[in-house]
Amino acid sequence: MALTGIEIYKHLPKTNCKECGFPTCLAFAMKLAAKAVELSLCPYVSEEAQQALEAASRPPIRLVTIGAGESKIEVGNEVVMFRHEKTFYHPPGFVVRVKDSEPADAVGKLVAEVAGYSVERVGIELKMDGFAIENESKDGGNFVKCVELVSSKTDLPLILMSTDSSVMSQALDKVASAKPLIYAANKDNWEQMTELALKHQCPLAVCEPEGMSELAELVENVTGKGVEDVVLDPGARDFGPSLVNLTQLRRLAVRKSFRPLGYPIITFPGEAAANAEEEALLAGQQVAKYAGIIVLDHFSPGMAYPLLTLRLNIYTDPQKPIQMSPGIYEIGTPKPESPLCVTTNFSLTYFSIAGELESSGIPSWLLVCDTEGLSVLTAWSAGKFDAERIAKTVKEFNVADTVSHRSVILPGKVAVLRGELEEELPEWKIMIGPPEAWDVGGYLKQHWSA
Amino acid sequence: MAAVEVPIEKWTGKVHEVTLGGNGRKSVVVGGESTLPFLHFEGSLPRRPVIAIEVRDSEPKDWSPHLVDAWGDVLADPAAWAKKAMEYGADIIALSLRSAHPEEGNTGADEARKNVDKVLSAVDIPLIIYGPGVAEKDNEVLVAASDVAKGQRVALGNCEEKNHRTIAATCIADGHVAIGKTPIEINLAKQLNILLCDVGLSRDSILMDPTTGALGYGLEYTYSVMERLRLAALGGDAMTAMPMICTAGEESWRQKEAKFAEGMPEAWGDHLERALTWEEITAFSLFAAGADIMVVRHPGTVERMKAVIDRLMSESA
Amino acid sequence: MSRFIATSAIRGAQGVVKQAEDMLKDALEKLGPDVPIALVDKEGVGTTYYLPVIYGYSGHKVEKLGDMTTPLEHAKSLLPPVPSENLWLPYLGETMDAGVATLFAEEIIEGIRFAKGEQPEVRNGYKFNGPISDVQTRSWGIQMVDGSMPGFAAVIGAAKSNEVAVKIVRELQSKGQLVFLSSTSNGRSIVDQLLEEGVELGYQTFTVPFGTDTISVVYAAGYATRAAFSFGNIAPGNWREILLYNKFRCFAFALCLGPMDDLKWATGAGAITYGFPAICDTVVPHILPTGITKYEHVVSMPFDDIPGRDDMERAERLVQRCIEVRGIKIKIPKVDIPVAFGPAFEGEVVRRENLRAEAGGKGGTCFEWLTMKDMDEVEDGKITVVGPEFDSFEEGAKVPLGIVVDVTGRKMQKDFEPVLERQIHHFMNGAEGVQHIAQRDIAWLRFSKSAVDKGFSLRHLGVILHTNFHNDFGAIVDKVQITLYTELDKVEELRKQARVVYRERDARIAGMTDEAVDTYYSCTLCQSFAPNHVCVINPERTGLCGAYSWLDCRAAFEISPTGPNQPVPKGKCIDPVLGEWEGVNSFVYEHSNRNIERFTIYSLMDSPMTTCGCCECVMAIIPEANGVMIVNRDDYSMTPCGMTFTTLMGTVGGGLQTPGMMGHAKLFITSKKFIPVEGGIKRVVWLSKNVKEEFAEELKEVCEREGVPDLMDKIADGTVATTVEELLPFLEEKGHPALTMEPII
Repeated sequence: MALTGIEIYKHLPKTNCKECGFPTCLAFAMKLAAKAVELSLCPYVSEEAQQALEAASRPPIRLVTIGAGESKIEVGNEVVMFRHEKTFYHPPGFVVRVKDSEPADAVGKLVAEVAGYSVERVGIELKMDGFAIENESKDGGNFVKCVELVSSKTDLPLILMSTDSSVMSQALDKVASAKPLIYAANKDNWEQMTELALKHQCPLAVCEPEGMSELAELVENVTGKGVEDVVLDPGARDFGPSLVNLTQLRRLAVRKSFRPLGYPIITFPGEAAANAEEEALLAGQQVAKYAGIIVLDHFSPGMAYPLLTLRLNIYTDPQKPIQMSPGIYEIGTPKPESPLCVTTNFSLTYFSIAGELESSGIPSWLLVCDTEGLSVLTAWSAGKFDAERIAKTVKEFNVADTVSHRSVILPGKVAVLRGELEEELPEWKIMIGPPEAWDVGGYLKQHWSA
Repeated sequence: MAAVEVPIEKWTGKVHEVTLGGNGRKSVVVGGESTLPFLHFEGSLPRRPVIAIEVRDSEPKDWSPHLVDAWGDVLADPAAWAKKAMEYGADIIALSLRSAHPEEGNTGADEARKNVDKVLSAVDIPLIIYGPGVAEKDNEVLVAASDVAKGQRVALGNCEEKNHRTIAATCIADGHVAIGKTPIEINLAKQLNILLCDVGLSRDSILMDPTTGALGYGLEYTYSVMERLRLAALGGDAMTAMPMICTAGEESWRQKEAKFAEGMPEAWGDHLERALTWEEITAFSLFAAGADIMVVRHPGTVERMKAVIDRLMSESA
Repeated sequence: MSRFIATSAIRGAQGVVKQAEDMLKDALEKLGPDVPIALVDKEGVGTTYYLPVIYGYSGHKVEKLGDMTTPLEHAKSLLPPVPSENLWLPYLGETMDAGVATLFAEEIIEGIRFAKGEQPEVRNGYKFNGPISDVQTRSWGIQMVDGSMPGFAAVIGAAKSNEVAVKIVRELQSKGQLVFLSSTSNGRSIVDQLLEEGVELGYQTFTVPFGTDTISVVYAAGYATRAAFSFGNIAPGNWREILLYNKFRCFAFALCLGPMDDLKWATGAGAITYGFPAICDTVVPHILPTGITKYEHVVSMPFDDIPGRDDMERAERLVQRCIEVRGIKIKIPKVDIPVAFGPAFEGEVVRRENLRAEAGGKGGTCFEWLTMKDMDEVEDGKITVVGPEFDSFEEGAKVPLGIVVDVTGRKMQKDFEPVLERQIHHFMNGAEGVQHIAQRDIAWLRFSKSAVDKGFSLRHLGVILHTNFHNDFGAIVDKVQITLYTELDKVEELRKQARVVYRERDARIAGMTDEAVDTYYSCTLCQSFAPNHVCVINPERTGLCGAYSWLDCRAAFEISPTGPNQPVPKGKCIDPVLGEWEGVNSFVYEHSNRNIERFTIYSLMDSPMTTCGCCECVMAIIPEANGVMIVNRDDYSMTPCGMTFTTLMGTVGGGLQTPGMMGHAKLFITSKKFIPVEGGIKRVVWLSKNVKEEFAEELKEVCEREGVPDLMDKIADGTVATTVEELLPFLEEKGHPALTMEPII
């Protein structure tokens, strides 16, 4: 049974020194109870308290950072099995694999394309996260050259893939300051790889396909030497084994607080997929089910965009839904005389109404008010979607200059706002749309004439 | 060191099994899971999730050019379309009586009888029959469809709270399965199941449609509601233990990412690749959340889903 | 149970069984045992369910004449002796047996008649319908299940006059009932009466003539039996399920017009086994509820004694009584008023320049008052306007208006009066050109010129209320009548009475205690985003969103028994101080997806209620001050616990049990059950300023009640302290009681 905030509070110094970054010990205790911070942030915590709070002292999955600088990847710190239980915090990094056996110009071109890729969705910029460089040639010189080539083209984090510790050492000598992930320690090379990780202060991936016990043992060997930032590769590749393994690892960590396996996981969907489409699906499975780093063998915008969107969806906090930015949106190619509908900035509300307007085939304007992410009725009852706010939005976005008419359609569920809105917007005719989004096409056909 | 003991969930509940078809027609059974999707190591998954292909009773006017290319001439003939869908590997034909929509033809019971009869004769796999989604018209055409399909155990949808009594009654009278659809909310889904059972429909004659949000358009809501429904079912709540059906095809192909080729940002990539991936990821994510039946549109999606499900169902890790 | 009816029914049963026996004997001799038997006419229309009543009751298939011997013997075995003159017995069971024997015999007789080509009946060239065909049963069955046609009325005999016959049928049709016609009274049949008046009979008009004898009434039972096969999924032979199905799902009854005879009583007894009551328009003994039918079994309503201006009104009331006795809920498809009606008009404002008349508002006299009455005190749909109407008001006039609504219903409770009364606002605003503000004696109505020009009158306010109470609250409301008063003295007088009632109600609600009830209510409306959260609502704590009181939840449960508000039986008390009960614990455990194992009503520190995300306020302990603080949703400032409302919400929300923090409604602060374990309001050291101001009066009272009249001055808010460091000196300076209370942790 997890400790409550009050129980944790009893063990804290109760000095409200604020050095942990929180204004009171109680606020810090509440964050600890939610496993959102580490106990080590408190400089004055006593030895006894540390022991008593062992379970609360560290998140069940360690937060591991790969790379340095702004575009570093941070993964781990997850606390639940299912996103509805709380949320998934740190989206898995999408990393594209290049091989040192491939021609340099091909590698350079791919790296430039991936690193430059960016796509916007609901006001958020989505990008790929890094590169994995594989020592396929087994040649140290080639590897170093390829690593240098990639790092010259991008600041994105790197994963160095070689089981040969001397090859790894050469590459690390060049790029260690960028804190790449070392892939990977196995039961044969773990001592050398561990040394490298410690020497260069880089995160280390541990690969052991034999089983959970063997993997845990190897991790304990590595951490026993002092490595703190570990990434797990349980070896499973295909759809089924990957799902089972990753599920079991997550359960061991969050349900059993099993420390040796409380680290993020790296996956290689391309190794089991028959083609790029299957790779995308397996990567999708791993986004939803517990991967921390996903190494892709294919890259194309037509596939990256859906995958990035999936990641955005799955890692949305269920209690803090995606909000649209307020403003006036074009549905189809509206003209000044096209209809004008108003809605809230709760993304699902927006999608429902925008989708229906889209499929009605009637180009229209959709004015999105800032309702702090609440849906129509909820926002209305919380006072976040009232006549004043709607009128303010109409003025703020100069809607009167965008449309040539003076009619605005309210969601049917807030018909009660009509009177007040007439007061707020005396120039405008307030029309009452249908209560449900799916009816809006029919409504426009019947009631709208430009 | 000691062997790591993998925690095993001891579920007490099981998803109800629902049979479609039979009586001379091939039958498809879905449900029966006693664990989460594809986790063979801690429960049984006796039935594989299946694919239904959407077939319309009238030629769709606003479909993406890629769907039109994929199906060609058969789009104008529901029987030929259904046959071709069967060849492409559909386990079920989802016949949508769209022409009954007041804005798309407003046809009535007679047209519905004719088309259902045609498709029933053309294929020997089970049918799902959807009304146009307007309650009064749904009642009209689905009751007629139900009569024509009597004994063939089809699934009739959508059955929503406002018309659940009519659809349930016709399902009971003609031995069909009702598809209960509720707006992305676990308790509403459960409540509709209770209401359907109250009317007298048996538990093995109900499918749940939790309402599909496509990738980028509310997928995460559907995903989580489905996970919660399935967890509740496995936890022993019989009123959430109905197999789930999702409409990945319709929902993803109506989004601009899938629908339109022109004027889209370059970062969206190749249209066909993007559109197909959109449908596939929507479908596959919902299978991963517990869907038992997925209604899709593109033959490519059918092929890929079948290949992937084969692998997920054959492995027992 | 009436001995008179029992005697008559048993005699009737004996007679008809004898008749069947004779006919069967004769037919077996003349036609032989192998002649096929089916209730199918020459065109092949009829039923394939053999003799459906016999098939349903016994599972026995009658396919040929010889197969009738078994059911006949069965019927004979059921026949009880006629009650003796001087021995008084309950008779109910015997009478029911006689009823079943009667239906068996009647079906055998009709079967033989079909074999002889004597059915369906043809008389004077008019062909009766005979039994309902299977195709029609399916089609009507769906309408029965979906509620658009709740059941049927088996009309037996003949009405007082042709006009009354027509009126009765029209009234039944307007209630969505199918009408089956059979038998005669004094040689007249209602079929003749209707045909003479040119009424179309047949499937299309939902008026089906079975025959001119009482025996043909058995077709109604056959129809009901087949409905249970098709729509109840019940196998033939499961007689108990078939009867229960009909009792609870097929809203049928017998309406007996004219004098009763033995066979009518015997057949009626058969109908009662299906849960179908009989309403007679003659003087007969009543049979009151015993459980076989939903309410009364036999009701006598002598036609000429029914109150009413004329026979038409009497016919209307007769049918109304049938509807009540069978418990049929009426849905009215449309609000029948001359202006548009719908939620789209809820926000409409009637402005001065378009004002025809108004009632209430500043200086006006207006009230609305809903009262629960006895069943016979309310005439459904009666709308009376006492006083002048719009045509005598000057333009823009301020008029007195009293809206008095009387409701009744088998599931109505006195406590639902305020819940329903509050709906008046919502209903009236739906009319185009009507604006309604507030409630009770501060209600304010405005009517637009355009609405009155279109013909809207005060009477239509009654229509709006009648229709909407039926449609939205049919589960608890059976009858509604409305009286609108527009004479000043009358309105003032009634308002005085209403005000007494308002005060009584307020006092009752204020005086309701947790101890006085054995059931709390749940609210799981928010599980869509807070999957593990369950609100438990007790009389002294409303839902944390402030929107649902215990009474609201109780009414919501009656209206929607499968909805989000479910009864939570308290069960055995574990700890009366903490407010912990076994029943509450197990309900919460089950409905929180087994996340919350313990749940107390009265403590903040020990297993408090969880929070969804809708709470008006969050309370959190401030250990340094040995007290609690309360921050409201509209207060955006930092608070002394180091967290803003939003941060607190993030910590406490989502269904996590967080001792020391809890979401609640603003009004909860004034409850006698406000964290009593921690010491109640005396623990509050900081309170959002806007709440202090909004509830200034109530809080003052509470402080006086708790014996700390100056407490409010000692409670800090955002203007004096947003940190613990600022808070503590303030509390010390003021001498806040929390500082010296026992430690909160």
